[in-house]
Amino acid sequence: MKKKIMTGMMGILLVLPLVAVCGTPAATLASEGKPMVLGTTDKITVLDPAKTYDFYTWEVFQNIGEGLLKYKPGTTELVPGIAESYEVSSDGLEYTFSLREGLKFTDGEPLDAAAVKWSIDRVIRLALDPSWLVSAFVDRVEVVDTCRVKIILKEPVSFFPSLVASTPYLPISSESFPEDKVAEPVAGHYGPYKINKWVRDVQLVLEANPDYYGPAPRSEVFVVKFYKDAATMRMAVQTGEIDVAWKTLRPIDVIDLRSIGKQKVLEAPGPYIRYIISRCNRPPFDDVRLRKAVAAAIDRGRICEEAHKGTVDPLYSMVPMGMWSHIDAFKEEYGERNLELAKKLLTEAGYSKDKPFQFELWYTPTHYGDLEADVAAIMKESLEETGLMKVTLKSAEWATYAAEYIAKGTMPIFLLGWYPDYIDPDNYTSIFLHTEWSPDMGVFYSNPEMDELLDQARVRVEIEERTDLYTKVQKLMAEEAPVIPFFQGVLTAVVQPNIKGVVLDPVMLLKYYLIYRE
Amino acid sequence: MASLRVYIIRRVLLAIPMILILLSIVFLIMRVVGDPVSAILGGHAPQEQIEQIRQQLGLNRPVFFQFCDYVWQLLHGNLGRSLIWGQRPVVAEIWDRFPATLELSVYAFLISIAIGIFTGTMAATHRNKSLDHVFRLYGIITYSLFIPWIGIMLQLLFGVYLGLLPIGGRIGILMEPKTVTGLYILDSFLTFDPDSLVSALKHLILPSVTLGVYLSGIFTRLTRTNLMEVLEKDFIRAARARGLSEKVVIYKHGLKNAFIPILTMIGLQFALLLVGAVLTEITFSWPGMGTLLFERVSYRDFTTVQGIIVFFALIVVTVNLMVDIIYAYIDPRIRY
Repeated sequence: MKKKIMTGMMGILLVLPLVAVCGTPAATLASEGKPMVLGTTDKITVLDPAKTYDFYTWEVFQNIGEGLLKYKPGTTELVPGIAESYEVSSDGLEYTFSLREGLKFTDGEPLDAAAVKWSIDRVIRLALDPSWLVSAFVDRVEVVDTCRVKIILKEPVSFFPSLVASTPYLPISSESFPEDKVAEPVAGHYGPYKINKWVRDVQLVLEANPDYYGPAPRSEVFVVKFYKDAATMRMAVQTGEIDVAWKTLRPIDVIDLRSIGKQKVLEAPGPYIRYIISRCNRPPFDDVRLRKAVAAAIDRGRICEEAHKGTVDPLYSMVPMGMWSHIDAFKEEYGERNLELAKKLLTEAGYSKDKPFQFELWYTPTHYGDLEADVAAIMKESLEETGLMKVTLKSAEWATYAAEYIAKGTMPIFLLGWYPDYIDPDNYTSIFLHTEWSPDMGVFYSNPEMDELLDQARVRVEIEERTDLYTKVQKLMAEEAPVIPFFQGVLTAVVQPNIKGVVLDPVMLLKYYLIYRE
Repeated sequence: MASLRVYIIRRVLLAIPMILILLSIVFLIMRVVGDPVSAILGGHAPQEQIEQIRQQLGLNRPVFFQFCDYVWQLLHGNLGRSLIWGQRPVVAEIWDRFPATLELSVYAFLISIAIGIFTGTMAATHRNKSLDHVFRLYGIITYSLFIPWIGIMLQLLFGVYLGLLPIGGRIGILMEPKTVTGLYILDSFLTFDPDSLVSALKHLILPSVTLGVYLSGIFTRLTRTNLMEVLEKDFIRAARARGLSEKVVIYKHGLKNAFIPILTMIGLQFALLLVGAVLTEITFSWPGMGTLLFERVSYRDFTTVQGIIVFFALIVVTVNLMVDIIYAYIDPRIRY
């Protein structure tokens, strides 16, 4: 008898799934109240504005939070956020922001001048990865009255308003966040959405924040599904399980989906750039001729066409295309590619066919997508085409690469990528080229002329003057080649045909609150 | 019976040094692969903060003491705290995700045994005929397939082309059965939640079939070999001579006796099942232990990774111990 019961139970367990398939049509989900679902292969690293320093988590924060100023969707124009207006003192050192009245965090605490001060002070005090975005510029914050807060700078910074729009400046509630350590509460923010539920790396459920001053989000409930791999996400958008497939589908999938034509493929140039960094303070790349030889020999066209199937564009400056002051500096200096020049420089440096220049080129295999190994391989081939270079490819996982190898200067030459912290040419130049910060990026480059240009460009307010300075910066950068840009990314989202409001803009942080179903 | 008791006690005692060796290997490897402090703080932290965290995690003490500490805590059911901000106890993290893996594994295992025994029996009873060749080939092919490949093929067929089944996740968006056991199917049964039940079952089919098919090959081959051997035995000939129907001979007498080695294999397969579950979960974005392990490796969350490996290892050791004991119970000749 026992045996029969067992067999029966096993039978039920096995048969049940089949019944489920036959019993229900696939379309039961398509009802009125269906939430908007976005898929991504990115992840929320740490949900605290004082600690997070990655692009995806910043995107989440721009939807559950709002800065004193914010970007107008689709543009890089700054408009009032939780501050209605602001004034700048004549010396450019004091910014006084007037907050909107009666705002409340999602935990019920008031969002006033004291809260803004507390949040900014906390970022400085914790001194974590993104803290420099505050501490390098802000001297102190003062509360003028409940609704007015004054930020006093160390020195005038022409792009300070765009810094204020970045995540480390977001106000958070002192009730939900502890003062002296990192935490990840799901309440205590203020923005168009609030968090309903968050299961790390599985899903994030957002719902409209009823206390938000501005227009309500176009979709009441917004769900983010986190995928482990791009192939699964591609199939999920193909079957309609998700409405929007966001970062990052593989180029081959994008091309495929476009040719099938059932979903819309949206694309926009993004200020995401890729480049090579040389360690400039130690052999072999302290020799400028070798850096220039690499700059002349790399084949940007092949990287874009072969590895990325034409979904990215060759880039000839660290300042991305489409941003003011951009010039094709490396193209002017070396042409699209110049193998003869590379050979000449290497010969001058004492290398020959019998005694080629040997070095290790480093890359990280997954952080920049599955294609990185291909990119590195093409890079190696294009350098070895000179006949005078012998490249050994080496790789390390991102965590080790970023946290240990870069700052320690372990790697003589390596591939890296950049998403902007704030939308200004300064963010694409100073950090790599200024004596003070370039060691942080593993460049270890120092040139007083360059420092002077960058310092000047920081404090000048007139855009013509700044453009002129950044043009000089880019020319000098191409001459000395401490960093060598090779392509600029394109933002791609694949959406269902009835989805509207997916705005891909140069700020690159997707605004969930604009997305809706027609 | 006394000898069985002695055997059990000896087996349990033997498991202890095994677990200790295993723990020290895991512990040492985790110490070699990188620095948890830089994983927590990133590259720009001031020295005093680094020292503070080292102190807090006990990393400033000699490795041997750290290990003793770890084992002592483990005996109290404490696997430490996650290094991810929020610092939840690792046990809680595992507890959140384990039911998903258990659910997937149970179904996958049932599917693999069902397929394996059926195809194996068919092959054995049709020896050297085309059915035998087909199932033998099946056994070899499935065993050598790569799990993500099987998964993607099933996703493409049933998800993309036929549109019958979801290709990822554990249950529909925003659905969540009330938690009783954490096993969605059982929970939705217990709480009479038919919508969740249907959704959970639909999400379960592709991952469990993927893993089930992968594991079934070895059962096919094992059942075939053992059953063929048993069917040559005298008592089977005697059963046939007594005029018993072929069905009774094969299923009641033959298969039952062929089952002992299969049972051992079930125990051994358990480790493979867990490895397979990791790959299957990643392919299907199934929120279980496998995906947890995968995610935490990329965060460099050392304590959680260590906790998951230890947890997996303890399960494998326990299951093997149980199989050995059951084996000894069934077959009194076995006393190592």
